[in-house]
Amino acid sequence: MFRRTFTSTLAVALCASTAMAQDLPQANSEYFTAAQELLAERIAAENNTRPAKNVILFVADGMGVGTNYGIRLFEGQQQGMLGEEHNLPHDLFRHSALIKTYNINAQTPDSAPTAGAMNTGAKQVFNTINLDETAVFDDCSSEQPLALFSEMMSDAGRSVGFVASPSVAHATPAAVYARTANRNWFHDAPEGCRDIATQLVDQMEAGVIDVALGGGARDFAGEGVAVEKGTGRRPDGQNLLERIAGLDVQYVFDAETLAASDRSQPVIGLFANADMAYEHDRPDTEPSLTDMTIAAIEHLSTNEEGYYLMVEAGRVDHALHGGNAYRAFEDGVQFAEAIRAAQEMVDEDTLIIVTADHEHVISFQGYCGRGSSVVGLCMDISDDQIEHSGEPVLAADGLPYTVVTFGNGAGSVLIEQEDGTYSGSRPELTQEEVTDPDYLQQALIPMTSETHSGVDVALWATGPWAHLFGGTMDQETIFHVMHHAVFGAQDAAQ
Amino acid sequence: MNRRGFLATASGAVLAAPFLTRTTLAAEPRVRLRELYNNDMSFTEFATENEGIRVAIEGFMAPPLKADSSFYVLTNRPMAVCPFCSDAAEWPNDILAVYAQRVVNVIPFNVKIITRGTLSLGTYTDPELGFVSRVRLMDAVQERA
Ligand SMILES: [Zn+2]
Repeated sequence: MFRRTFTSTLAVALCASTAMAQDLPQANSEYFTAAQELLAERIAAENNTRPAKNVILFVADGMGVGTNYGIRLFEGQQQGMLGEEHNLPHDLFRHSALIKTYNINAQTPDSAPTAGAMNTGAKQVFNTINLDETAVFDDCSSEQPLALFSEMMSDAGRSVGFVASPSVAHATPAAVYARTANRNWFHDAPEGCRDIATQLVDQMEAGVIDVALGGGARDFAGEGVAVEKGTGRRPDGQNLLERIAGLDVQYVFDAETLAASDRSQPVIGLFANADMAYEHDRPDTEPSLTDMTIAAIEHLSTNEEGYYLMVEAGRVDHALHGGNAYRAFEDGVQFAEAIRAAQEMVDEDTLIIVTADHEHVISFQGYCGRGSSVVGLCMDISDDQIEHSGEPVLAADGLPYTVVTFGNGAGSVLIEQEDGTYSGSRPELTQEEVTDPDYLQQALIPMTSETHSGVDVALWATGPWAHLFGGTMDQETIFHVMHHAVFGAQDAAQ
Repeated sequence: MNRRGFLATASGAVLAAPFLTRTTLAAEPRVRLRELYNNDMSFTEFATENEGIRVAIEGFMAPPLKADSSFYVLTNRPMAVCPFCSDAAEWPNDILAVYAQRVVNVIPFNVKIITRGTLSLGTYTDPELGFVSRVRLMDAVQERA
């Protein structure tokens, strides 16, 4: 039930406060001894200052501190724990920071400029990707392109890839390879501007992107043209899959073809028409985020020089927009699985960063007892046992409430009436109803889609130069640490 | 206009099926929309067994494609974003096309409804709207759940 980290005998021997600990009445508390072991481990630990050969950036879209907490409890409870004591893989990374996520012109950020900041080292304009601060949304004549981390890695002979559960042309993956004045130009852009899917193929042709796995088949074929897993939506009628076929890039479209792909050659995988399925709804024929992450690392590792991989759990964000905590947390568990899989495949020369681009307006109610289902009703704290009492806590209206609620969104208790006004009250809830995977938690402000929030997110890191993260940092610092870990450290070593 | 639908309700907002079939309402199998599809989007046993029969399906009315229509889309969870309002957004796979008995009074997208109608399976393209559906409820009436 405690922090499951490796603690060596040496580390315990080095513990500075062992003598102090023995005298205290709390010294036999399991909580106390676990904290002592962690202290010893941290005293003994040394910073990893070798140059990073590989960088893996994990982004769970919309997974702020609150959402990460929800995923932690959800996974722990799935494994039979009360939940609070559980740790996600990145919870155990030695280095972390709080990350400020605002955009140049937005207090509440969107996923395009936030991912852009991570990939270029500079804040960007709302709804734009990898353009300088003079960018005007939706106006490609204002595009002043920034240099990308992917291009720097590629120029240095390293491989670059990404995995994403939305379309490969969606904001977060697009920030790895594209520049655009409008993040919605997936397959269509005004005269004289370049759509994002075309830019991906351009970057594969240029040898910058070696692995691209996700959804978005529709973005690669002409309007109405049937392709594997979907139907084209491109008004220009271009068949980008034909262009890809001429580039010695493998094209895969399901779990089977992905598994069979030649790991030594570039690959694009388009596994769904638009977004890939939520983990909860995923058919076996579609690869999971973990399947894609493993395949991407196997591909990229064939380059002895190293690689940059970005992995996005993009549908955590979508489920939260839908006001559905269950799917957000289940996709979060799949994200954690992908991190564990990556950790097993890499060694000390790989910098692993886990973060989010922004938070949502998710909140967690009180005062709930231990083990209250994080997707269930807030159950009362028990006086005579560790676990909750099994009795729901009642609000002032005499009704139970769920642990999770949202500040706004489709779950609003204020419902549109026939005269166009909004009114309502909190309905009576049962545990069976609220733990259903399709349940939308109660929200306050009525909106068709729940929103992002400007609150800080967390970042966790392990590997070369991970110790450069700390305190509260601006999001663009991620690029600077990645860049130093690979290039700065390399220069210093020479 | 469908005469039976007109007779069923003056307001057209809620109420149940035509009075002629009212006595059989209790016998209608009632399920949630998700019980029509498996994860791989094949039809469930419930769907295939009840093809051509009147069933009651719980779901949510997506923001209608156009005003004053007898057509709407039923979704499994509230359709948080209108696919026609957001650039290149897509319908989820697990939807149900509903052809109601009469012009529908719009029910907010986040209010659970029950739609009763005859279950029709197989891909069909609406000649007027161009909307492609895999499963439909025909001759339907709907009410708040
Ligand atoms: Zn979002």
